[in-house]
Amino acid sequence: MDIGSVDRSATGDLGWLHRVSPAAKLIAFALVVASVVTTWNMFVALALLILMLAAAISARLDLRLAVPLAAYPALFALVFALASAPDPLTGTLIVLKAVAAGLAAVTIVLSTPYPHIFAPIQRIVPGVVGDALLMTYRSTFLLLDKFSNLLRAVRLRSGLRGVHPVRMARATTQALGSLLLYSLDLAQRDYDVMRLRGYSGRLRARLPRTRNHLIDASLISVAVLALVTSAVWRIQWRTLNPYSWLVPLPALALALVAVASTVRTASGKARP
Amino acid sequence: MSHIHIPDGVLPLMLWLPGWIIALVLVTLAGRLAERSQVRRKVPLLAVVSALMLVAMSSEIVPLAYHVNLTVIAGVLLGPVLSVIAAFIVEVVLAMLGHGGVTVLGLNTLMISAEMVLGWALFRLLVHVLSRKRVRWAAFVATVLTLATTTTLLVGLVALAGGGAATARETGALSPATMTFANPLSGGVFRTGLFSGGEGDAGGAAGTSPSGAGALSVRRFAAVVYTLGPLGWLLEALITAWVLGYIGRVRPGLLWDGGFEQHEVHLQGDEGVR
Repeated sequence: MDIGSVDRSATGDLGWLHRVSPAAKLIAFALVVASVVTTWNMFVALALLILMLAAAISARLDLRLAVPLAAYPALFALVFALASAPDPLTGTLIVLKAVAAGLAAVTIVLSTPYPHIFAPIQRIVPGVVGDALLMTYRSTFLLLDKFSNLLRAVRLRSGLRGVHPVRMARATTQALGSLLLYSLDLAQRDYDVMRLRGYSGRLRARLPRTRNHLIDASLISVAVLALVTSAVWRIQWRTLNPYSWLVPLPALALALVAVASTVRTASGKARP
Repeated sequence: MSHIHIPDGVLPLMLWLPGWIIALVLVTLAGRLAERSQVRRKVPLLAVVSALMLVAMSSEIVPLAYHVNLTVIAGVLLGPVLSVIAAFIVEVVLAMLGHGGVTVLGLNTLMISAEMVLGWALFRLLVHVLSRKRVRWAAFVATVLTLATTTTLLVGLVALAGGGAATARETGALSPATMTFANPLSGGVFRTGLFSGGEGDAGGAAGTSPSGAGALSVRRFAAVVYTLGPLGWLLEALITAWVLGYIGRVRPGLLWDGGFEQHEVHLQGDEGVR
């Protein structure tokens, strides 16, 4: 997982989704997750997945980053489905649900800076938890950076060689141990610096105000529509199930429009 | 095999909602305790250990569909109170990356917390029994026992879900009998069966009760988990033993005092050098 790329995507101003207020995005995300929870219809779950893909494409998110991230939970869901689902239909549905919810989460993360995502959580948890949440994200970058340097150093000193798996494992775990110790010292020094600069026990992340009410309202409306569709299909399944195949079509149309728009913009940029 | 890789909408509300409530109560209590007992100084330690778990859990060993958790290492370094907070933080970040559902976040927090606290308790007990010279053995045995226990907890949870409302779908939406390509405009011109049984009369099929058709196979799940799981437990136990053994040799205070030592000298790292 390249968290650096995730952060670069979140803080850039790539597309319309980056201009939506974080509050609206989080509300829409909650509604989409509620739709995934509500539905037990494969076509509705498929429609939700296509809708998420359309959002990611139209928002100019890097699909090479978004799709593998969303596919990661799919792998575990597949194992769970193979291990426990009574039939292929249930198994497919479990995987579809995992990918749809995963893609929704990834779309939000790739278009929203992390302090804005954590800000609402900070308001409901004790101060120490909120602070640790923000510092964890920062520490992750430090750890990944330092770990790759350490592994390179170990490899250069022939600590990692396939012919000696035990020696390689020992070298890797010792690198992990020294990385941990180094990070603790680094974190402690960071904390001391923060104290010197006036930290008194609360890091506050604020949510920015809405830039465009119309775009916020549109996003939430689509998410509400998704939830209503899931709920209606769940309640009126006797009547509606034979027409389930119709549900993915509007989502597919949206996805095609998103692809066409992206291709057009890309070709426009390519012209001199 | 600690936390639950079950997508949103598979476990029933009666299972995940109490999970969320209990987890939030525990995290709030742990947060209050941490603030009262001057552990605020350990916030950087908490952040680093959480980040370490996060990095470990994000790296999957594909053939086993397993990822290392490092929960026992984290539990030993943080102690029981901060472990609960670390578990919550890790699960929030993982859920935001699509790894683990949002609805199961509460249950995941409880599972990881249980693993960290149990790992910490077993490690302390084993070190007490075996002596401080046998840190690696204590860490190895504590990790295997902890992971075996939490895996059993996980199977128990799936058993609870499998026999309950999660899978006995009263909506019948999973019934292949009703999943047909019916045309809403021409009364069935394009109507063909999607799944076996779909060719039949939709109205009649819809009337049949499909409840129980989607029940999860707990036995099969347990068989898979207990077959692949032990390989992961051994791997995790080896890593934990080596890392804790190394820390025990280089900085024993971290294992026995927990967190930062008061008299610790902080060496300058290369990030300060230009």
